[in-house]
Amino acid sequence: MEGRVLSTLRPSQIYRPDVMEDIHLKAELGRYRFRGFGTLRPRPLPSFDDLTFITCSLTRIPLEGYRERCSTKTVLGTRFAKQPIELDIPVMITGMSWGALSYNAKVALAQGARRVGSSTTTGDGGMLPAEREHSRTLVYEVLPSRYGLSIHDVRAADAIELTVGQGAKPATGGVLLGSKVSAEIAAARELPAGVDQRSPARHPDWLGPDDMIIKIEELREATEWRVPIFVKLGATRVYDDVKLAAKAGADVIVVDGMEGGTAASPEILQDHTGIPTLAAVCEARRGLEDLGLYGQVQLIIAGGIRSGVDAAKALALGADAVYIGTAALIALNCNRPLYVEDYAALGTEPYACHHCHTGRCPVGITTQDPELMKRLPVEEAAERVANFMHAMTLEIQMLARACGKADVHHLEPEDLRSLTLEAAAITGLPLVGTSYVPGRRAGD
Amino acid sequence: MRTIDCTSLSTRAINELIRRLIAEGAREILLRNPEARHNLAVAILTDVAIAIDGPVGYYAGGMSDGVRLTIRGSAGWGVAEGMLSGTVVVDGNAGNGAAASIRGGTVVIRGDAAARAGIAMKGGLLVIGGDTGYMTGFMMQRGRIVVCGNAGPALADSMYEGVVFVGGEIAELGNDAVVSDATPAELAEIRTALAPHGVKGPDAFRKVVSGRKLWNYDKKELDAWKAAF
Repeated sequence: MEGRVLSTLRPSQIYRPDVMEDIHLKAELGRYRFRGFGTLRPRPLPSFDDLTFITCSLTRIPLEGYRERCSTKTVLGTRFAKQPIELDIPVMITGMSWGALSYNAKVALAQGARRVGSSTTTGDGGMLPAEREHSRTLVYEVLPSRYGLSIHDVRAADAIELTVGQGAKPATGGVLLGSKVSAEIAAARELPAGVDQRSPARHPDWLGPDDMIIKIEELREATEWRVPIFVKLGATRVYDDVKLAAKAGADVIVVDGMEGGTAASPEILQDHTGIPTLAAVCEARRGLEDLGLYGQVQLIIAGGIRSGVDAAKALALGADAVYIGTAALIALNCNRPLYVEDYAALGTEPYACHHCHTGRCPVGITTQDPELMKRLPVEEAAERVANFMHAMTLEIQMLARACGKADVHHLEPEDLRSLTLEAAAITGLPLVGTSYVPGRRAGD
Repeated sequence: MRTIDCTSLSTRAINELIRRLIAEGAREILLRNPEARHNLAVAILTDVAIAIDGPVGYYAGGMSDGVRLTIRGSAGWGVAEGMLSGTVVVDGNAGNGAAASIRGGTVVIRGDAAARAGIAMKGGLLVIGGDTGYMTGFMMQRGRIVVCGNAGPALADSMYEGVVFVGGEIAELGNDAVVSDATPAELAEIRTALAPHGVKGPDAFRKVVSGRKLWNYDKKELDAWKAAF
């Protein structure tokens, strides 16, 4: 080693190899980069992993983990709707468009959710008739693009979700690159086939919260005040946004954290906009509590919910239900080591694929290619989704029983402690082994 | 003709009355004293003639399929938004987003339209007898807009397909909008569209369509993309 100057081999921590590659690629492309999946930030975000349940011991008595009843029934939309939706479990499928997803994927999600007594949601492309047919409970998204929006579909839905933003890319519209705008998808969206479709960020007929009050009333009039109206927010200024949505008359507010997935988005938006789901649920609860509407307006939390553990923590922090998206696609087979050569052809490999935007999904989920789609047989895929949602529910129940709760909705912040100072500051839950919460004085 | 006096009635009560009358077989309904209420006659799915005798607020006739609605006054934002088929005529002016995202049918504004008229239209026809505001036809996908007067800035910005005809001055074209003179055949088409509604319009129109440079990402069209973003 003598004589070798090590400093000449030191890579820059600013211009890391991946940063240089990014610059090289953009120098060729002449535009920002797209990809799917969701944030891939190297620095871990504050997350539900930073919390732990402090289950029963002497101060509280647990329920028998495998025997005693623990209700998972979930009712949403009790504020104004004549017919709130009733689900058997607090885990729901989030909105993902037919176009972003294949026909088989949409139908499999609908069938899977139906088998466990839960719901699915349409997406930025209107209602696929088969999705209505196979869903027990179907939430219809009204998005800025209004692709395929029909009053007949609105009336056929069990709830309406007025989407203001999504967690992966709040304040921007959806993207469906031309490779996925097949003739069939183009016809459904009334677009030319093959265009790089960019959805607008703003609704065409309303802008701010005052307008939204009137828009919500229109949706209620259009549905005879029958179905719940959800308002979906990408998690940014959550405290204020939740208060505005609640005051505008929402029955249910959906808050989608920055870990939320997408089938296509500029990469920088996924990695550098929004706030983590952990922070979002805490702000959302605080907003509703400060309005005196916590419990009257239901709260759905989304964005990176991976397991029953994440879901149980979200419920304990104040959610009434959770949406899953990416996790449901992984249950379908996303990133599974099948057709490995096709992952390689995309320049990736199983467990690291985020090429949903290309339309070349090796496992037939995020594609409109009929041959690729055949790789996702609906019946088997639906069974995996149902199994996964059932497993999540068992995990939530297990944790609830261990906390002495006969209903998963009885989980509460007191059941949790923070494992990091960061989480303690975000959640207000004391750091484990202490009563310390950053920013809070003893006795507060 | 059945009549509803809106005085002291809530929007909910008025819309319920409209639906009840339709269910009873009424095919001509008159609403008196609307007092600029929002959300009147939304989601009407029957071929029925409804006249509203006065100004209305937001979303009058919104999300309808088959209604023939006449507003004898001005309309607020989003008149006829999301309509699938039918006809909505506004005798006065219209607020922002008139005929937003309609997929079919005809919307006629005899007066002026404010910003974003015909935004994201997916089909159908929008006729504006007077002037129209900023961003008319933004991200229009299909259908036709006929503006008899002047058009504000950013006209026909970022359209996919669809055609905008303008009889007066165009303050500014939007991104990727391309203008040409309407052909004799297109002028005849415009006359045919205007005639049933008694809108005369000027003798000549210009036609604005998408230049299609924004349809797909392409670094070769760098100037267009810089303007669009």
